[in-house]
Amino acid sequence: MFLFGKKKEKTAEKVEKAPVVNKEELISQAEAKVQELEGTKEDARVILLNKIGSLYFQAEELDKAIEYYEQSLDMKKQMGRSYTDLMSLYNKKRQQAAKAKNDKEISYYLDKVQGMMQMSKDMLRGKM
Amino acid sequence: MVVLRFIIDNILTQAAIIIGLIALLGLALQKKPVGTIVSGTMKTILGFLVLSAGSSVMQSALAYFGDIFNQGFGLNGLESVVASIEAINGQAMGELGLGSEIAVSLAGIFLVNIILARVTPFKYIFLTGQALLWESTLCVVFAWFCGLRGIPLIIVSSLVGGTFATLMPAFAQPVVRKITGSDDIALGHFCTFGYMFTALIAKLVGDDSKSCEELKLPKSIEFLQDTYLSVMVVMVPFYLIVAAIAGPEASAAYCGDTNFMVYAFLQAMQFVVGLYVLLAGVRLLLAEIIPAFQGVSQKLVPNAKPALDCPVLFPYAPNSVIMGFIFTTVGSLMGMLITSIPALGVPLVIPGVMSNFFAGGTAGIFANKVGGRRGVVIGCIAHGIFIMMLPAFLSPMLAQIGFQNITCTDVDTVVTGFFFMIFKSIGGLF
Repeated sequence: MFLFGKKKEKTAEKVEKAPVVNKEELISQAEAKVQELEGTKEDARVILLNKIGSLYFQAEELDKAIEYYEQSLDMKKQMGRSYTDLMSLYNKKRQQAAKAKNDKEISYYLDKVQGMMQMSKDMLRGKM
Repeated sequence: MVVLRFIIDNILTQAAIIIGLIALLGLALQKKPVGTIVSGTMKTILGFLVLSAGSSVMQSALAYFGDIFNQGFGLNGLESVVASIEAINGQAMGELGLGSEIAVSLAGIFLVNIILARVTPFKYIFLTGQALLWESTLCVVFAWFCGLRGIPLIIVSSLVGGTFATLMPAFAQPVVRKITGSDDIALGHFCTFGYMFTALIAKLVGDDSKSCEELKLPKSIEFLQDTYLSVMVVMVPFYLIVAAIAGPEASAAYCGDTNFMVYAFLQAMQFVVGLYVLLAGVRLLLAEIIPAFQGVSQKLVPNAKPALDCPVLFPYAPNSVIMGFIFTTVGSLMGMLITSIPALGVPLVIPGVMSNFFAGGTAGIFANKVGGRRGVVIGCIAHGIFIMMLPAFLSPMLAQIGFQNITCTDVDTVVTGFFFMIFKSIGGLF
């Protein structure tokens, strides 16, 4: 039973990660959603921002993905995909900075990662 | 020559100065401006002194508690210890005079971690500063207990601590990979043996098809909104119950004209004050040293995975954190009752609420991933008992070293203690 569960989960992960559409298409989908942002408020806006962040993330446009996920978490601090994706994005940027030996960016993204961990603690303690 | 001798004999023997020099080195390596180097060094020295002050306050509140506990329950030969890794660190750096060795070994642990991450397949850089300080403390204390002094003590402590810092994230990584669905980040929290023990139990008894995350639970634990308030909520009843059972005579020598129950209440608060000050000192102490290590390690091992503190995992399974905390607390209370069995020959261990939250919550995530809801309930109760029993068995050795009324919390540091004791026993055979 346990092993069956494990197999299913692995398949699910693979399906989720496999690029369904090409990069240009993902970017054009994201840009279309950016247009929709105007006039969208509160929770609907947060959902839209997360979708845009996710599309840019899949298109490997890391900076743009960070920008929209940050906006989403600024509006509504919540656990889940926006948080875990943003953590992953910061970590990718940190790794790029480390490979480029860029001190400033290394410390910038390490600080961002630390900030995310503080946010995680605060959310669970009901401070946000 | 006289000046040099004066510096060696009077200045370099001071732990605060040694720690300041390590911060100075870290800041200089980062090519910081002179002003930042000076202020960072001074702040680090201040951090050490604040930490020592906090430790003294905590120590006096613990000494009072230990004494009235002995007077109340001592007839059965039962003693008590409070599980607090912070207090262990404070006493080791302050009262035991091992501050310099702990600070130099902390830098040594960074170095060994970087070397191992570069040359072995275990590409993990441990980035949780406080956890490294606790590990450095236990390595130094036990190496010292094994008879090592000076340079050999620092080398052995750095090697053991650095190895733990590299291998513990690797040990947890198979489950962390399942939790995060990627191999980008690792867990840097010295409670790994507890997490893997919980995962093992959860895997044996659980069913991972029924996740905790499908349940409707509160999104946060407001009881923990303020760290120190929650420690107070736990410590005040313990102090009051023990003072009431021991009676007014037991406290008479301490409380003067103050009512003994009021005095017990104030002493419980003093414990929290000590913890507050001590942790403020730790933060100041590490604020300059850790970023230096992080920056250097990133450049030397750019492909390494960062091993981060446990809150990094909370957003992957917030319900499991809450359930893990609750059932680890249940388990640790059961563990406390077990430690009161005289036949075991261990002291009664008073659980630490903060370790229940962080270690318990993370254990909940591990258990849920491999064993679902049932895995969390049973696995975390077992975890609670586990994280009480291990420190209880280490307590007699800590008492021999000179630690009064306290024991460790984070179980990997306890395992470090046992590791040294095994070597000491083997050495004793020859």
